[in-house]
Amino acid sequence: MTRALELAEQAIAAAEGDAAEAVIQTERSGFARFAGSEVHQPTLIENESISLRVVRGNRVGSAAGNRVDEEGLRELAKRAGGAADASPEDPDFPDLAGESVLPEVGGYDEATAALGPDEQARLAATVIEAAGELPVYGFFTSGEVTVSVANSSGFSGEQTTTDVSALALAATETMSGYSEQTAWAVGEIDPAAVAREAVEIAGRTADAGEVPPGSYRAVLAPIALGELLQYFSFDAFSGLALLEDRSYLGGRIGERCFDEKISIADDALDPRGLPKQFDFEGVPKQRVTLVEDGVLRGAVWDRESAARAGNGQVSTGHASPPALRRWGPLPFALSLEGGNAESVDELVGLVGDGIYITRLHYLGIVEPRQGVITGMTRDGTFRIRDGKLAEPLVNLRFTVAVPDVLADVPGLTKQTTLANEAAFYDERFAYGALVPAIATARFEVTGIGGPPGI
Amino acid sequence: MRALCEEAVAAALAGGASYADARAIVRRAQLVSTKNRRVDRVDDVESEGIGVRVLVDGAWGFACDRRLETAGAQAAAERATTFAKAAPGKHERKLAPIEAVEDTYRTPREQDPIEAPLADKIALCLAAEESMQHDDVKVTTAFVRAMREQKVLFTSEGTAVEQDLVECGGGIDAMASDGDVSQLRSYPSAHGGSSAGAGWEYVLGLGLEREAPRVAEQAAALLRAPVCPPGTTTAVIDAEQMVLQVHESTGHPTELDRVYGTEAAYAGTSFLSPGDLGSLRYGSDLMNITADPTTPDGVGTFGYDDEGVPAERTPIVEGGILRGFLTSRETAEQIGSGRGGSMRADGWSRMPLVRMTNLHLEPDAGTLEDLLADVDDGVYFETNKSWSIDDKRLNFQFGTQIAWEIKQGKLGRMLRDATYTGVTPVFWGSLDAVGGPETWTLYGLTNCGKGQPGQHAHVSHGAAPARFRNVQVGVAPS
Repeated sequence: MTRALELAEQAIAAAEGDAAEAVIQTERSGFARFAGSEVHQPTLIENESISLRVVRGNRVGSAAGNRVDEEGLRELAKRAGGAADASPEDPDFPDLAGESVLPEVGGYDEATAALGPDEQARLAATVIEAAGELPVYGFFTSGEVTVSVANSSGFSGEQTTTDVSALALAATETMSGYSEQTAWAVGEIDPAAVAREAVEIAGRTADAGEVPPGSYRAVLAPIALGELLQYFSFDAFSGLALLEDRSYLGGRIGERCFDEKISIADDALDPRGLPKQFDFEGVPKQRVTLVEDGVLRGAVWDRESAARAGNGQVSTGHASPPALRRWGPLPFALSLEGGNAESVDELVGLVGDGIYITRLHYLGIVEPRQGVITGMTRDGTFRIRDGKLAEPLVNLRFTVAVPDVLADVPGLTKQTTLANEAAFYDERFAYGALVPAIATARFEVTGIGGPPGI
Repeated sequence: MRALCEEAVAAALAGGASYADARAIVRRAQLVSTKNRRVDRVDDVESEGIGVRVLVDGAWGFACDRRLETAGAQAAAERATTFAKAAPGKHERKLAPIEAVEDTYRTPREQDPIEAPLADKIALCLAAEESMQHDDVKVTTAFVRAMREQKVLFTSEGTAVEQDLVECGGGIDAMASDGDVSQLRSYPSAHGGSSAGAGWEYVLGLGLEREAPRVAEQAAALLRAPVCPPGTTTAVIDAEQMVLQVHESTGHPTELDRVYGTEAAYAGTSFLSPGDLGSLRYGSDLMNITADPTTPDGVGTFGYDDEGVPAERTPIVEGGILRGFLTSRETAEQIGSGRGGSMRADGWSRMPLVRMTNLHLEPDAGTLEDLLADVDDGVYFETNKSWSIDDKRLNFQFGTQIAWEIKQGKLGRMLRDATYTGVTPVFWGSLDAVGGPETWTLYGLTNCGKGQPGQHAHVSHGAAPARFRNVQVGVAPS
């Protein structure tokens, strides 16, 4: 048994409950954040936190802390037990997850785990140097995270994962371009290429023009589509949101609502993503079909929301990290199937006349039930004319119903990209969306912003 | 904890740092929430550790460790200096001078919010939920939170500050649905209620149970309300939505690190430039914005910021003219004025950033009725629902939970799905009335995101209802 699982067992024993569950997250990570081609905000983190959930009769309480010595665990158990005692009875609380066979997945790379402050600084320097004369803003980050879950019902599991991201905004006052790469192995990303792509895009954005608000055909690069899809999914594909009438899926499951080229899954087992073996309740991960050939198929569930749903619904292995648990089950491994287009240029040709979007900014959910989201484009918005990328555009405000964007899709690229979706708040939990570039017949531009550049 | 901080700073100096500071923090946070009359969450989180920031040859390093012991302090100092020595770039970072100080600060409180019994907190939530029961309301939620943070800062310049901070808050949400349309109402504020840097007496004074029936009835009524029609009209905006307007379109753009571009890749930059200070017209003469970390009950209230700069009130916009920025010691040195005072970190594991503290729209005169009386045709907006603003903080679009048409100086029909959009200086330039001191309300937000890795800041804003002319209202997909 590993040290973390031993700690979990000690905490469970100290809880003095009828049932208990411990989740331990251990993090060793480094962020080399840079601006104007200088590192200005480094953050090197060493932490280990434990979250303990205690069931006494039908009463449930939880507590968390990061003191993992004997006294710390005892005090943690006391607080969790106190929370349970203070709570009213909850006869609907589901049992804790039992023993299970966990899927074999990748997600750990020794070379990534070994990266220390020197190497993280050096890889940030690689991005900066590759940008040449153009100032770059962004970060290089890598981390090693171990999640250990144990409970009194027999589940005991531990997975150590690694993740690495390089991100670059190349910009002056009059131009800007953006690129990023994310993987679980440092050898799978090319920090210099990230910088070069950002510089190349930036070089095409000077002297941007405007387009009037209206409905446009559009191509969204994978980074833009990934963010839009992730925001949509927080309500649309959450079992809890479905129960609470916040989801677009409500009353529509089984209906063809999207173009038949659209198939979406949540698949934490896919080695091209950031693979996970189990969720934060100890339920094994599985591939969950959310949309199949344009037909809405279902949502993701954790044990609590599945129990509330009744009707035989079971957890799909989507309990969120303790810090996010109040939001219910969420899809953190979205995967949109690629199409037949060999290149983004082919999608541009399919659109013919429209706009091309590299990146989105500051999305806001205007109306979750209809999937309406607003935001801005940035760092590489272009006009498409005669099936070719044409002049640069200013940043555009859009307000779209995501189902409309997905309803008429002329094409998708064959190749998919892992788009980082984590902003790394709280304990490190890397996640991303595997997405192609998409051509859509409908993208609503509702306002005009400023030109590219910082 | 002070001894540990001293050890960390000594280790950093021995490792080659020309400047070092260490913050040791023990933070305990509770969240109690109930949903549909059952307990949804009883979370009690304690986190402790030490964060060490160093300057080596003008380059920053920052590292942290959860162990509040010598080994943790020294390891963090060593990793911070190692990184700073390896950091790429031409580093000439300097800090504006401040006087070293030894002091303590304690949030005034009647009752420590952590010590209020969990059972009382749960009972308060359940009682509020009971009062929100309504046939059309499908989901009711009530929540309270409490936090206590003990923080020690020690710097190589001799500053030693110990602070004992508390805050707490709460709120209620009612979501009505008829299967096709879902509508949310909240009190006292959306997105997590409202919080204050005060004792548990603040939560008891919110009156969650008292306001619950109105919140539920309005959520239900919204199901049958017409959608806010698009057009250009006069907007009267309630204090709660004005808080977000101030936050997004004056708070973030006046953070001087954003002006200098250090948030460019993530949160964005600012339409302002350092040379705009003292000359840029931000809005009409009625626009007066003040940063004030001394505001009683603010969640951005402290004795000293995370660089040891004492709290002080600073004008940001006066009579519509830009008069100040939110600064750190580093950015104050860059711009050549001030000494910082807005550096705040989200706990021990994050490096301090320039953050809002408490940022207020100062009141003018009159009641809400006075503001409405001068409107023949317009829309009154209340309680934020959605928000988005571009990377330079110019083009924004906000939606509110509820709105009313204004006809001949009076509120008319209730409207749903109301949004308004604008461009920051144009919008503030159209400000032609701000309510008086009796309408000014302080709200505390806990979800302000910035930085990579991400950091949440807790900031308070005071605002009064305000009136804007020629506003684009009701943008929605065609």
